[in-house]
Amino acid sequence: MAENSFYYDGSLCIACRSCQVACKQWNYLPGEKTKFFAAAGGYQNPSDLSPTTWTIIKFHEERKGDFQVNWLFRRHHCFHCSDAACIEVCPVEPEKAMKRHPVFGTVYVDQDTCIGCGECEEACPYDVPHVNEDTEKSRKCTGCFDRVANDMLPACAKTCPTESIRYGEKGAMYDLAKKRVKTLKSQGWKNANVYGTKQLKGLHSVYVLLEKPGYYGLDENPSYGSLEPIKRKAQEKFAAWQRDHGRENLASIGGLAATVGLAAAGFKKLTDRKNDNSES
Amino acid sequence: MTNHWTDIQNSDCIMIIGSNAAENHPLSFKWVMKAVERGATLIHVDPRYTRTSSKAHLYAPLRSGTDIAFLGGLINYVLQNDLIHKDYVVEYTDASMIVNENFAFHDGLFSGYDAAKKKYDKGSWAYEPDGNGDPKRDKELKHERCVYQLMKQHYAAYTPEKVSEITGMPVETFMKVAKAYAATGKPGKAATIMYAMGTTQHTVGTQNVRSYAMLQLLLGNTGVSGGGINALRGESNVQGSTDYALLFHILPGYLKTPRAFNDSLTAYHEKWTPKGKYGGMSANWWQHTPKYMVSFLKAYWGDAATKKNEFAYHYMPKLDENTIYTHIGMFENMYDGVIKGLFCMGQNPAVGGPNVLKERKALEKLDWMVAADLWATDTMDFWKRPGVDPKTINTEVFVLPAASSIEKEGSIVNSGRWMQWRYKAVDPPGVAKSDLWMLDKLFKGLRERYEKGGVFPEPIVQLHWDYGDDDEPDVHKVAKECNGYAMRDYTSGKGKDIKRGEQIPSFAHLADDGSTCSGNWLYCGCYTEAGNMSARRNPMDAANNIGLFPQWAWCWPVNRRIIYNRASVDLNGQPFDKEHWVIRWNAETKKWEGDVPDGGWAPGTKHAFIMKPHGHAQLFGNGRADGPFPAHYEPVESPVQNAMYKQQVNPAIKTWTSDMNDVGTPDKYPIVATTYRVVEHWQAGQMTRNLTWVSELMPDMFIEMSEELAKEKGIANGDKVRITTARGGISAFAVVTPRFQPFKMNGKMVHQIGLPWHWGYSGYSVGESANVLTPHAGDANTMIPEYKAFLCDVAKEV
Repeated sequence: MAENSFYYDGSLCIACRSCQVACKQWNYLPGEKTKFFAAAGGYQNPSDLSPTTWTIIKFHEERKGDFQVNWLFRRHHCFHCSDAACIEVCPVEPEKAMKRHPVFGTVYVDQDTCIGCGECEEACPYDVPHVNEDTEKSRKCTGCFDRVANDMLPACAKTCPTESIRYGEKGAMYDLAKKRVKTLKSQGWKNANVYGTKQLKGLHSVYVLLEKPGYYGLDENPSYGSLEPIKRKAQEKFAAWQRDHGRENLASIGGLAATVGLAAAGFKKLTDRKNDNSES
Repeated sequence: MTNHWTDIQNSDCIMIIGSNAAENHPLSFKWVMKAVERGATLIHVDPRYTRTSSKAHLYAPLRSGTDIAFLGGLINYVLQNDLIHKDYVVEYTDASMIVNENFAFHDGLFSGYDAAKKKYDKGSWAYEPDGNGDPKRDKELKHERCVYQLMKQHYAAYTPEKVSEITGMPVETFMKVAKAYAATGKPGKAATIMYAMGTTQHTVGTQNVRSYAMLQLLLGNTGVSGGGINALRGESNVQGSTDYALLFHILPGYLKTPRAFNDSLTAYHEKWTPKGKYGGMSANWWQHTPKYMVSFLKAYWGDAATKKNEFAYHYMPKLDENTIYTHIGMFENMYDGVIKGLFCMGQNPAVGGPNVLKERKALEKLDWMVAADLWATDTMDFWKRPGVDPKTINTEVFVLPAASSIEKEGSIVNSGRWMQWRYKAVDPPGVAKSDLWMLDKLFKGLRERYEKGGVFPEPIVQLHWDYGDDDEPDVHKVAKECNGYAMRDYTSGKGKDIKRGEQIPSFAHLADDGSTCSGNWLYCGCYTEAGNMSARRNPMDAANNIGLFPQWAWCWPVNRRIIYNRASVDLNGQPFDKEHWVIRWNAETKKWEGDVPDGGWAPGTKHAFIMKPHGHAQLFGNGRADGPFPAHYEPVESPVQNAMYKQQVNPAIKTWTSDMNDVGTPDKYPIVATTYRVVEHWQAGQMTRNLTWVSELMPDMFIEMSEELAKEKGIANGDKVRITTARGGISAFAVVTPRFQPFKMNGKMVHQIGLPWHWGYSGYSVGESANVLTPHAGDANTMIPEYKAFLCDVAKEV
């Protein structure tokens, strides 16, 4: 089956940030006690991703002349890379806690088996996963696989008023992005570009950007060097974790996850929200 | 809205002015961006570059309070270059009508001004009648006193250079906007105006909106798909609250509230029922006023309203000519000790009112206050606000916890006039109750007491109150009464036999003899014998396929989705816009197709604007308090002299000179300030400032200012600053941004800052209130407060 992808169109986004709220609502994430964040012009908040904030809109502001301003927005969340460093370095055995959804292709953290070593955070070229210090679990965008498996759009895409966030079959999303960039170029946005089709063997979140990736602080050609040192550190942490928690304990968790498979991770949420299934 | 949300997608040019739609009406941008994707031009006119501007093709800055100068410039451009939609203007507007020879305008004053009373005698603002009493017309538009020529003369001074001198908008920018917008005067093209409180909250607010209407009429943009003037209402049901008259000057359905001098029902009818002009060519819809008023009185007092007692007309409260009932007037009266008690439902004036230091002080004068809301509000907490000793305040405050919109059943009416039924999703928490429950219990309690005696008990004791005996009243019964039903078997004016108790199918069947009741004639048709029309959810479109969705919910009037639609066709009933047609006449079936037409009469047999006595849209607005043509006046607090006229401010506004009403001058307060909302918070914050998910997005009070001003004042981005006006001062974080830039006007540089007004001292996210700074100054027609333009100073906080 074809994999899926998010789509984000910066030319349609009005930075209303309802995606941020919808994400928190669906995923039971608490509001953070934030402070006025001057560096990004007062509008961006929380200032960055965290264990309790999985998507944010970043603001980029530039004076272009008298009464002329570039005020561009970019959504930041997990790109769900095809070549995912986070999966690569995850030390949990026999099955990694950082997993790729076998149908949707998106990447999520198995909350039952994650040991919170934090090396996925270290390895991620986009600084996406963050470990919750209280629960000792790595947290990030799940791709809303629990919604998608029930024929619902991810919470962010569902709530976006201008349809700047969409979600669907990866090839179709890539095509949509290419088509949109063509239109934007014809309308005078000469720097409009697609981001995500080529990076890290193709991201499961493709962007339509009005300016070059660097303008948004995005690496045009993200890469990670050798992951070996990080991997080694992760394995050491996993070994220590096993010593502290006992091998049997882990085996039972791992075994359960392997048996019940992917559905298990989303099972609780689905039953909690069975009334929502009529949503389309 | 003349049109509705989904129709914005059909526009060729969208001008958003006095509105930050992307932030305050984010869902509107679903349709705005669809239009843009289709190739429409998006123009944003605003003092500040906002998230709306970020999506616009043309951003046109203007100093707060100078909209009429800008709009006058556009009107002048359209007239001077003859870009009007000629057939439309001649046939559907009053452009051809001749005006009284004594009408004049000189240096900012219209004829008839009484300087002592600050009021106009409008005698000369009249059309010149012919032998039949109908306005004389010159369809060639050449008569020197026809509205068209008077308008041309009035706006000749509004040249691009003058516009720039007053507004600070660069001439080139103005010209770009003028060209793009005026291009829609071509038949078949449509431009729409989306506006909100940035337009209305001025001492010239009403005339700002009139300017939009005039521009749209000149270009033939009203009544057509993708056109109209569209007020983006600030709350989900504020259109409903207006239609149902949560106001003092009108009754439900825009019937006039009786004045003290309307001393009988006959006198009321005589005064407020206009006489039609041009014989049978004028539908003059308000001729039906007596049917609507009597049906309204029957809804109030049922069988106790009889022909003999003038249908209980004398039970209605009457307005006293010398009392000002508006928000400002009410709080001035409270401050003066005239008003002793206050019911505050879903409102938070301690944050949202203008000049809140005075309004909070006014609350202290109350004997009692009842406040219903979802959370404890700043208004409920006024007696323990910072800096106040509760022991010194004697007001007794009763708090009624209220159910939210998803915790009760009922309807809301959106900006596009769609009445949409909502079901109750969950029970309210704790002892929270619906508004209807509160009012039902309150009324029944009052009735019980008045039954034992009291002064003039009849209006209460005899009130028709039939919403069931359950603890929760039956909201369907309320909706059915709003629609109206037959009080006895009768034959309607349309010849239909209707049985006692049956729902009335539409307002055409309402009667003035007591046969019918209807709580709101405009909503007659929403709940018929066929059921609750507002609960319909059929997503099928109409034949014209322009997104009318006629069976989705219900729309007033008579499910007409685009009003004034008779003006979208020529005199043969053929649409100007063949692609996005609204209605069209089928000559074979002799029927209209598409939307519900503005009356079913054949094309060319009735003038298009059926609500006007003469059937024509009025460019000449002779009913307004401050003049028939909008003219540029400066805000009450302005950094400059009026560059257009000797008259500085709107001559017909009320000036408040009592306590705590100081007015600032530019020598002390040289900076223009305006207030606004952000998408992350809601109004006075009582809902959003108690939600952590939203508060984390916008945690603190801030102001936005230009890099130039920051440099002048030694302020850095993120500094704490102090903002002061003649009324008071507040502290906030500074956002230093190129999105505000100083206005250069005739060599003078004027700075402007902006402040969100959501914060107060109660709740999870607290902060200082922008309305500490705003004045008690109001529009000449509506007394809406001038929140959007006042003077301040800013300094780095030490």
